[in-house]
Amino acid sequence: MTRYLLKRLFWMMPLLVGISLVSFLIMHLAPGDITTTEAGFNPKASEESRQKLRKLYHLDEPVLAQYGYWLKRMATLDFGTSFATHQRPVFLEKKDDRGNISKGLIQEALPITLLINVLSLGLIVIAALPLGVISALYQNRPPDRAITVFVFVGFAVPGFWLALMLMYWLGVVNNWLPISGLHSLNYEKMGLFAQLIDSAKHLAIPVFISALGGLAGISLFVKNGMLDVLHQDYITTARAKGLPENIVVYRHALRNAMLPLITLLGLSIPGLIGGSVIAESLFAIPGMGKLFYDAVMMRDFPVIMGILTIGAALTLIGNLLADIAYAWADPRVRRGVM
Amino acid sequence: MRSAFANPLARWGFAIIVSILLLALLAPLIAPFDPDAIDVKSILLPPSPSHWMGTDSLGRDVFSRMLFGARISLLVGFVAVGIATAIGVVLGAISGFYRGWVDVFIMRLVDVMLSIPTFFLILAVIAFLTPSIWNIMIVIGLTSWMGVTRLVRAEFLSLREREFVLSAQTLGAKNSRLIFRHLLPNSLTPIIVSFVLGVASAVLVESGLSFLGLGVQPPQASWGNILTDGKEYIQFAWWLSLFPGLAILLTVLGYNLLGEGLRDALDPRTAKTKT
Repeated sequence: MTRYLLKRLFWMMPLLVGISLVSFLIMHLAPGDITTTEAGFNPKASEESRQKLRKLYHLDEPVLAQYGYWLKRMATLDFGTSFATHQRPVFLEKKDDRGNISKGLIQEALPITLLINVLSLGLIVIAALPLGVISALYQNRPPDRAITVFVFVGFAVPGFWLALMLMYWLGVVNNWLPISGLHSLNYEKMGLFAQLIDSAKHLAIPVFISALGGLAGISLFVKNGMLDVLHQDYITTARAKGLPENIVVYRHALRNAMLPLITLLGLSIPGLIGGSVIAESLFAIPGMGKLFYDAVMMRDFPVIMGILTIGAALTLIGNLLADIAYAWADPRVRRGVM
Repeated sequence: MRSAFANPLARWGFAIIVSILLLALLAPLIAPFDPDAIDVKSILLPPSPSHWMGTDSLGRDVFSRMLFGARISLLVGFVAVGIATAIGVVLGAISGFYRGWVDVFIMRLVDVMLSIPTFFLILAVIAFLTPSIWNIMIVIGLTSWMGVTRLVRAEFLSLREREFVLSAQTLGAKNSRLIFRHLLPNSLTPIIVSFVLGVASAVLVESGLSFLGLGVQPPQASWGNILTDGKEYIQFAWWLSLFPGLAILLTVLGYNLLGEGLRDALDPRTAKTKT
């Protein structure tokens, strides 16, 4: 197990280098350098501040050296300061000369996006398991047909459009749910329970939207996994020795059908993070997606590079966690048989 | 291929796709109005016999804009996936045929690209380019070739060990002949399936980008940017958001149905478990 983990960690290194290279290259796609107006830099900025930035990012030095500096800063988790929002640090909080602490942009946005993604992953699993199992048990009969239709429509529905429709119907016409932000204005004055309810109301539509696309795919996946497993010999054995059907399905079959789900959930992380852009801008939720969108609109390079890198690193960590969970759940991997 | 159309999913998908393609191709003949004609006297009119899907904030006929928008959305989808498929087939073929360090390198490149959230990557690149439909096609194409690469590589790796390929090789067939006459034709099925499914996701990405204002630029109509207008006027004009959304849904549904149907029909493994 330890060897497996070490090997897994070792393979992450070249990926991290590749990610650093891609994010570096993107910054150099810009015409001229990033401090010129062509690149969307604030035309009112003084020549002095331009020089300062060029120096800070070593723009006068050869490209290879610049990449070296970028690697070095990445290794120390220093992603610089934002061009736009009052030069706040991109990733982690920093103390300035006067001892004031300014919070990092990603540091503030990441927990929000993670919360939404964890909730929607939870929702996906809770809903996809029964849907997939029912679909497999009633294959080609009405319940399966209905679920299949749902799966295909769920795949096809543009999330941002559904978000817009729900926003209109639940928020504007009926006024049941708030349509913007994370909290109500009087959040600070509420009791703990009221705060929970308030957050739940604000997050309901975004989490639902973010779960829907994944739900369709994963319930299909559970169904196919169940179908595969249900035709295996050990299931026939379990039935033959007279076990109740419930135990056969939920104890014997589902457990094995669920195994690949762990990997799949790990793989769905970049999609969920990427998908957060539109939903978060639509609902004005201050997470990674909105931060990234704003940074793109303002050509805020340090923030763009920082989020690309951190987002990719998160994906790698997610995949690693999924692999560890898989190894933990499947004794064949754990004992090195497979 | 004939058996593919015995599959009800594929048949429905095909019907949906053909009807939308026809509407898009015949747009200049069908459209009751000029899609870009501004008419200040008929701003934000609800659907009526003369304006089937109402009018937008500049008095343009939404139905006509939807028809012309279909052309743009489908064009972007096809070209983008064409680019992605071309890159994927070349890289996957090299990777699966030559193996060794080339394979390791290409596969790590795929891993790197897959680990960066795609939509972030697309937005980051678009930020530096002037938004035009050509740039969007290229960017979507350049960021979505990884799936095809893996697929073609896997096919090549397994086909390369088959007897018919080995015997051709023993008979002295050149690498180019092996690749183009034996391996590629036999990998065509999964490539077609992934192309069809790819169009579905490219249409979704394009509409998302246009919705954010980073895709197809007005006055050129696309389903995504009609929706942007819809968001603006959602309290007064539901028709501006409802129709483009449904059109995207139907199109994506059509390509997904056809793709999955083809996969079921052409892949002997899933076909077997069905019966």
